[in-house]
Amino acid sequence: MSVDKSLLAGSTTMLILKLLEEADMYGYQMIEELSIKSKNVFELKAGTLYPLLHLLEQKEFVTSYDKSTDQARMRKYYSITKAGLKHLHEKKREWQRVASAVNNVLGGVSLATA
Amino acid sequence: MQQPDKILDYLETVRCQIRWKRAQPIVLEELRNHIFDQMEAYQKSGLDDEKATDQTLAQMGDPVMVGQQLDRAHRPRPDWTLLGLTGVILLLGLVVQNVVGSDSENMRAIEHQIIWASISIVVLFASYFADFTIIGKYPKFIFIFLCALIIASFYFSKTVNGRVINVIYPLLLFPTVYAGFVYSMRNKGYRGIILCVAAFIIPAFLALFVLSLTILFLLCASCLIILTVSILKGWFQVKKNGALLILYLSTLLVLSVLGMMSLGMFGDAYAQSIRVTINPDLDSTGYGYVGTVIQQLLSHSQFIGEGLPIGSFETNRVSDFLPDINTNYLLTYLIYQFGWIALIIVVVLFTAFIVRAGMLCKKQKSVLGYLTSLAIILTFAVQIIVYIVSNLGFLLLPPLFLPLMSYGGVALVINMLLIGFLLSVFRTETLMKEETEISKTVAQG
Repeated sequence: MSVDKSLLAGSTTMLILKLLEEADMYGYQMIEELSIKSKNVFELKAGTLYPLLHLLEQKEFVTSYDKSTDQARMRKYYSITKAGLKHLHEKKREWQRVASAVNNVLGGVSLATA
Repeated sequence: MQQPDKILDYLETVRCQIRWKRAQPIVLEELRNHIFDQMEAYQKSGLDDEKATDQTLAQMGDPVMVGQQLDRAHRPRPDWTLLGLTGVILLLGLVVQNVVGSDSENMRAIEHQIIWASISIVVLFASYFADFTIIGKYPKFIFIFLCALIIASFYFSKTVNGRVINVIYPLLLFPTVYAGFVYSMRNKGYRGIILCVAAFIIPAFLALFVLSLTILFLLCASCLIILTVSILKGWFQVKKNGALLILYLSTLLVLSVLGMMSLGMFGDAYAQSIRVTINPDLDSTGYGYVGTVIQQLLSHSQFIGEGLPIGSFETNRVSDFLPDINTNYLLTYLIYQFGWIALIIVVVLFTAFIVRAGMLCKKQKSVLGYLTSLAIILTFAVQIIVYIVSNLGFLLLPPLFLPLMSYGGVALVINMLLIGFLLSVFRTETLMKEETEISKTVAQG
């Protein structure tokens, strides 16, 4: 199942930061988690995820570290910073305002059927 | 797992979009790992290799688009604050040299300094683009080359008042090159530490011959701090306390041997200079002359504006009674001529520079980047502190250079070269790491 991508534009950052708020993760894991949590609605492409993660690292919203796996493969884990948490909360508030505004305009459509 | 051609092609296309070469291997490594994770997942769900590959690459997205976005995320940027501060200090230095030059009627000097400043700007950008990583690529070669250069400059240069002046310039580069040497000795345990201390003997010995306690202090302080930090960060992979004990005991041994040798040769000169430093009046026309003049000038200085006339001197022109105002006693001159505010401005500018550089250094993840920037910051910090302290009349360590401000072309070029390297460390942001990293995070996992 896929949805109109433009609906998601701009909120990917928020979703990634939300995932990292719960645990440190590597890129592949984030895509999997997001897919599971959103019941396959959000199928984030790796090609979108990594540039975004690297930009977030530059903005110091996340930091990264390497960890070797059992298969002797190095994995780059990302971890959210204080600034990242703050940004997440701002984004969340913003999103809630927009969501409730959209619902108001649509006239009380319940989220379950939207 | 073998890498099918399609995957290699995909990664190569992405790589070509990323213009900054240093970012490429790190970014591609992450993508490659992702591709393998994804392929394994598809294979487990029952797809054959070919289909798994196709699906995986489709999931990745268009390689050109991905590469372009990664290129945008990884563009080297200079640290504008540091570059700006460098420009301001350099410019202020030229203005000050112009003032001093017109005061002492030596207008040729400012022309010289402007030419050297232009050369030094070229050198700054050259070393910025040459990149500090060359220090990590050939650490031992560069180290041996610099030592040879130091020795050569010792034998083939003029002597001024018993001092072999030209040796000071290559010695200024020593801490930075030494950082590369320490980097190459990491993971080598106690043997590495011993070798690092041994590598320090040559310059320390020559610094004594140069008869410059200041340069010796600069070398000792910066190299010891570099080694101490490396041990504390666990880069030698030895017990920290034991290693520190070995470091300090062996340094003490080296220094005391060198000290005794030099005391035998130049003992009287040192003893006299120390006595006079503590009390300049002991010899107010010889060794203590400068100290006495500085005390008088500073005691007649105001907060803002020119200092009060000094009774014991016939003229009010500082250059007539204080020697070397454009090189060694620039700050004393400025304080007397323009007031203590001049000192405050200089201190604020240099403090901002050091603090900013220190903050960026602390954030460095790469061992080489950390050590190189630390070494350069220390080289500057020691120069600045010794210069300020000596210009306030405490002359135990005679002034060396006030970076970018005091007169002299070679020192200016060398300091700008170091700033170029420093800026090249910081343009890597958080990206760079070592090929064989021993980071703490691995140990946790």
